[in-house]
Amino acid sequence: MSIRALWVVSHEKGESGKVRFSRRFPTVELRAKSLAGTQYVAIPEDCVIPKLLLTELGLVDADKPYVEVRGDCARHHRSLAVELRLDGPGGRTLWPLLTVTQGALILACLPLVEAPPEPRPPLPSLASVSQGLALLSGLQDFLCGPGGKPEPDVLASRLAALPSVLLQVCPLGRPLDTPLPAGSVPAAVAPSPGGAQKQPAWKAVVHQGRAVVSVALTEKVRSMQYGKSSQQDIWDVYGVLPNVTITLTLPHNGSPLQDILVHPCVTSLNASILTTCSVDENDGSAFSGPYKFPFSPPLELFRLCSYTSQVPVPPILGSYQLKAEENHLKVNVVLKLHESVKNSFEYCEAHIPFFNQNLMGSVEVKVSSGQLEVSKEKNWFGSLKFPKSREATLEGTVHFFSGTVAGPTDPLCTGLTAYIKLYFRVPDLTLSGCCVDQHSVQVYSSAKPRIVTTRELVSSEYYIWNSTGDAPVSSGLMML
Amino acid sequence: MTIADLWDQKISAFLLSPSQFLATTTSESFLAELLHELRNDKANDQLKILLVSVLLEHPTILCPSSSVGEETALELLSVFSHTPQKSIILKCNVMLAITNVIICTSCLANHTKMAEDWLDLLFQMIQDTNDYRCGLSQQPIRATACECLREMETCSPGLLPQKLEALYLLKQQETTVLHQSYCMLYTLGLKNAIRILTSQKDVTDLEFKSILGGNEGFAWKSNQLRLTLLPINMMVQVPRLPPGLDCKELKSIMSSLLEESYLQTPISQSALLRELVEIVAMVPGLSPTLFKSQLLRLFGTADVSLMHATLFMKDTFTDSLFSAEDENFLLKRLVGTAQHPLLRVPEKLFYMECILHFPENRPISSSGEESLPVLVTPRLAVSLHPTVFNDSATMLCRLNLLCLVHLEADEGEADKGISYLFEHIMALLKIIDNDGSRDVVVISFRALFIFLMHFSGMEELSEKVIDKLCDMYSRHSRLAPNLIGLANRIQEHLDDPVWSVKLLIGLQKCIMEMPPPQLTIHNLSWHLKVLKRVAKEGQITQRNTIYLLLNILINSNLCERGNWQVGNAVLAVCRNLLEHPSIDQVFIELADLLQYISVHYDGMDIKDHARFYYTLLTNLSWEKRTGVLAKGLDGGRAKERSHSAIMAESEGIASNLTVHKTNRHVLQLIKVQEKASQRSSESSELLETTGEAENWLEVYQGQFQTPGFGSEVTLRYNLTHAKDTDPLFDKVFTICLHFELKDSNYAKVNDIHVPCVFRDRKPPVVKVKLKPFQPYPTTLCVSAIFTTQDGRSWHSRLPDVSVSFPEIFLPLPLPPNTSCEFKEQVFDCIWEAAASGNPDKSAISLFCFKTADESLADLIKTHFQGYLITDQQSKRLWKVLFFLPPMCHVLLKITQAEDAIQVSIATDNWELLPFVNSYLQNITDHCSTTVTDG
Repeated sequence: MSIRALWVVSHEKGESGKVRFSRRFPTVELRAKSLAGTQYVAIPEDCVIPKLLLTELGLVDADKPYVEVRGDCARHHRSLAVELRLDGPGGRTLWPLLTVTQGALILACLPLVEAPPEPRPPLPSLASVSQGLALLSGLQDFLCGPGGKPEPDVLASRLAALPSVLLQVCPLGRPLDTPLPAGSVPAAVAPSPGGAQKQPAWKAVVHQGRAVVSVALTEKVRSMQYGKSSQQDIWDVYGVLPNVTITLTLPHNGSPLQDILVHPCVTSLNASILTTCSVDENDGSAFSGPYKFPFSPPLELFRLCSYTSQVPVPPILGSYQLKAEENHLKVNVVLKLHESVKNSFEYCEAHIPFFNQNLMGSVEVKVSSGQLEVSKEKNWFGSLKFPKSREATLEGTVHFFSGTVAGPTDPLCTGLTAYIKLYFRVPDLTLSGCCVDQHSVQVYSSAKPRIVTTRELVSSEYYIWNSTGDAPVSSGLMML
Repeated sequence: MTIADLWDQKISAFLLSPSQFLATTTSESFLAELLHELRNDKANDQLKILLVSVLLEHPTILCPSSSVGEETALELLSVFSHTPQKSIILKCNVMLAITNVIICTSCLANHTKMAEDWLDLLFQMIQDTNDYRCGLSQQPIRATACECLREMETCSPGLLPQKLEALYLLKQQETTVLHQSYCMLYTLGLKNAIRILTSQKDVTDLEFKSILGGNEGFAWKSNQLRLTLLPINMMVQVPRLPPGLDCKELKSIMSSLLEESYLQTPISQSALLRELVEIVAMVPGLSPTLFKSQLLRLFGTADVSLMHATLFMKDTFTDSLFSAEDENFLLKRLVGTAQHPLLRVPEKLFYMECILHFPENRPISSSGEESLPVLVTPRLAVSLHPTVFNDSATMLCRLNLLCLVHLEADEGEADKGISYLFEHIMALLKIIDNDGSRDVVVISFRALFIFLMHFSGMEELSEKVIDKLCDMYSRHSRLAPNLIGLANRIQEHLDDPVWSVKLLIGLQKCIMEMPPPQLTIHNLSWHLKVLKRVAKEGQITQRNTIYLLLNILINSNLCERGNWQVGNAVLAVCRNLLEHPSIDQVFIELADLLQYISVHYDGMDIKDHARFYYTLLTNLSWEKRTGVLAKGLDGGRAKERSHSAIMAESEGIASNLTVHKTNRHVLQLIKVQEKASQRSSESSELLETTGEAENWLEVYQGQFQTPGFGSEVTLRYNLTHAKDTDPLFDKVFTICLHFELKDSNYAKVNDIHVPCVFRDRKPPVVKVKLKPFQPYPTTLCVSAIFTTQDGRSWHSRLPDVSVSFPEIFLPLPLPPNTSCEFKEQVFDCIWEAAASGNPDKSAISLFCFKTADESLADLIKTHFQGYLITDQQSKRLWKVLFFLPPMCHVLLKITQAEDAIQVSIATDNWELLPFVNSYLQNITDHCSTTVTDG
């Protein structure tokens, strides 16, 4: 249950890769050597790692159309773990290398294979693999933070802090914990002394400020609407509940929460909470709450529980028709807000992008409510505001420059294959109806913490496809 | 630039490539430098942590032997004890470094004193539970100590078992976050104790109980297990204790460990669960139902390592812990998590992998290969269907899984499912058709490969795929390499080549039907590549290919343009055609084509080759021709290096001509043992010794004005056969020895030529002349090229030749007949200069050892004879001088004091001191020694 080495490699466009951080664990290497015997493959020096890694990930020779090592169709069907081919094809290989790519950063670690080297054991039989994955995820959060794209100097300072982080979470190659996401720990903390009761290991420090329990419930809704009878529209909802006993309740006839995953700090679970699963067919008898989660919270923000839910209708139903006429496109959009959704959007935007076209020229479009916004460089325009009638329309024509200045490209959206993407947020609403009552949060502590609960609905991948063009095949659900 | 910056640069260079870094120095001197700086009180913690990191990551490079490892660990220990209390992070790093050095240099495995002391010290550190004695600030030290002990137990299983009672108490007392570390340490010790017990034949109740009550020293002598243990899921047979032992106490310990397990971090918890599972598997008296109470919590977890540990439990205990219902439920959870929108992509990929290797209660086959659990039905897997919106890894992984699902499914369901997957593949191909980027092309072909691997037998579908691919090729000929690759891979992976052949026929047809304008120069090269591949298939008739080539050549201006690459590509097609089994049917056409090229193509080389192929075609039968082409034209050696080899794409041919390689050692160099007195540098001129007394040093140094004076060391070796060589190599001729240096401390060594080496004759002596820039020990990589009796040339490596420090010693470079007085004067002058710090790299040092009278005389005779300057037996004083090219001196004054022999050392290059020390230590090894650095 150890890893042999760890690397952080950066890969800027047009430059060769660079090792930003690396760590080897010699005692684990010693074990690797003894386990593999004559088939032992030593880890190469850091100076050759980036090239080997980028070759495996297909990030080299960007200017050449076809390179066999990159384009071979029989390789990399599971890119969970790659192998580094140290002497080119047919030579010695280093396996299994787990990698995580975020932007220009590649994080990689080499778990110890505690098995006879031949034949290659399946990944799930190796304990180190899941530990390596967990460690990499933790490092990713630590290095990149919540935004996912840190400034170069911020990244450099976080990289510089890595040795002391590893001293805590993985001093000798055996992961003990995952690093906390950057910037997530409250400032006023002190190391906790021993007491009468054992302290949970995920709470290494004690908080010295005022105690606050804040429960935020975020539901995301994603949808694919085609506007055709042959293709069924789909949407689903999933939620996150970060931050004692919390009780989650659903309205009287709400559909049950499914696929519930809980944070390891939850101490016990009721069996009925887990039983509903999206892969099952739903019958009316399913458990529908209340969902109780007793837990001992860490100090940082964390995701207590995630779930999915099936709601009967999408919150916004749309139709999009695009027609080509001579040298312009005719657009017709109708969006309807479902009656169960409060018309209290913090923001709501419908973007209508045009790919694989020349740049947009004039846009002659009438909107029933709201203002038209046009982004000529990015080739989209959009607008949205629902009036009292809960229905918004947009109609008109779009002209394109006849020159050779091409707009953005997309492999999917060619011809009349096009979509509208919706971005919206509705505070104090969940589609599933799920909510946390402030008074149901029980805190077993002498200090009376402030309790804050919020909820919101946010869009995620909400697409409405042009019903007059070919929408890409998207899901097998409707056929089976 | 500050010292810290210098170190920073130096250490990054080392970490980036230790071998390149050490090429300019040696590991000994780098290690000495590191340790020196670590002892420097002025250096700050930040710098010291950086220095320690080198030892932390590369202990075996810096400490090549167990003895160096032990010394280094001792040095680090003294650094550790001198580091102030508040430098916590530095202290932790030093602790890790000591542990790494001790384990990696086998100090632990060899049970050295150092390792024993270190274990005791670590154990002492962890006694301070809840930080009563040292305070909260020292907590990280304790945490590190626990982790060091755990690693030592892992690498040398069986150390802790006799400490179990003490560890149990510590674990119970600890209530800070460190209880996790203690718990893990205890559990590991417990598991290893039981594992050791399983190898014993009969185990009594008393023995079994005594493991829990162990409270003695570390178990150095007990029957140690192998260095590393395989986890039980990797073992053919799980080691087990005999049944019927009384497990009450163990059971209650296990229960309490499990009850508190939720207090650990998920990663540690998963490790703990795995250890506990192993224990239960080894002790028949413990029931797997112990884990029942934890299952629900584990089923609901969002943590990947905990879920993985649950699957490990499932694998180990199957139906003795998981009922059929549990199994079904777990599998559903897995499918659910494999597509959960709030998990990360790598985690979801991992869960999909877990579905394919799901440990079923009743597996149909028990091989490690991936197979779908019977419970995964198309209904269950519906949400895992691939879509074009998935990222590439997810899409390929889902496709593979779903292919398996529908392959196993009942007919009606399968048809629907397969047609969905087919639609998906078509959607991908459509994206390529719309000018997809390079990545999309690669991913789509991978998807296509997966699909065909499962369904190429379904004729209707595979025909449709071929039609679509050919249709796309007619528009995008740049897909040629991808299509050829696909045909090749499918042919390799499926025993039945039908699909590939069909695809190639389709492509051939597609090229035939293209309107002439599409056969432009650029696209032509793609088409020729495809046709070349098509020509390899014996089942495909080639008439059309030949007609097309002839047609293009006649009706275009290609021949006039005479482009070498195009001509070459056409000839490459022809070469494969020459080998085609049914070429007799189109014999005349091919002959026409070759003749046409040989007459009309505007390019001498192309013409020549066409004529050559024409000759092969018209003069040899098919069997002979393919034989000739396959063997690489054995008869025409002169041709082999010309372009025909490249054109025919048979690089193998060239190997017949070139130097052969043997991986075994054929020859070796054995050092000729010689007396030091025989050695001298090459100067022989008489020096004028009439000068003033003060001038002696100047006279001596004056010699170095002559370029190349005293700059070389000559080493003599016998060139002999290595053991057990092939009789083929008994007589070898015209040997050329080539030397490569592993570092840059020496000038390049010239090649040495030896006429012959016969096994039954006296070995020839080889003089290797080394010219040091820095007189450090080094290693030479030697290779030889030689010829055997049958006239073939061979290349072989010789065993590396290592040049030790004393081998570079030369006597004082003065003419042989120089008077003793002169020598002594020079000695004294250099000594004085060195003692007074001139030049500035000078240093003096002292080395003491004890020995008997006669052995001192022996020692001096055997080691210093040739280097003695004065030998005053009566005064018990000897002066010895080693000259080391290019111009370094090591001077020794050996005096016999009352109780020990003192060796005063002076040198004009302090970097040599570590080598001098280890040299002296080496030769005085049988005496007890003490060292004092000056």
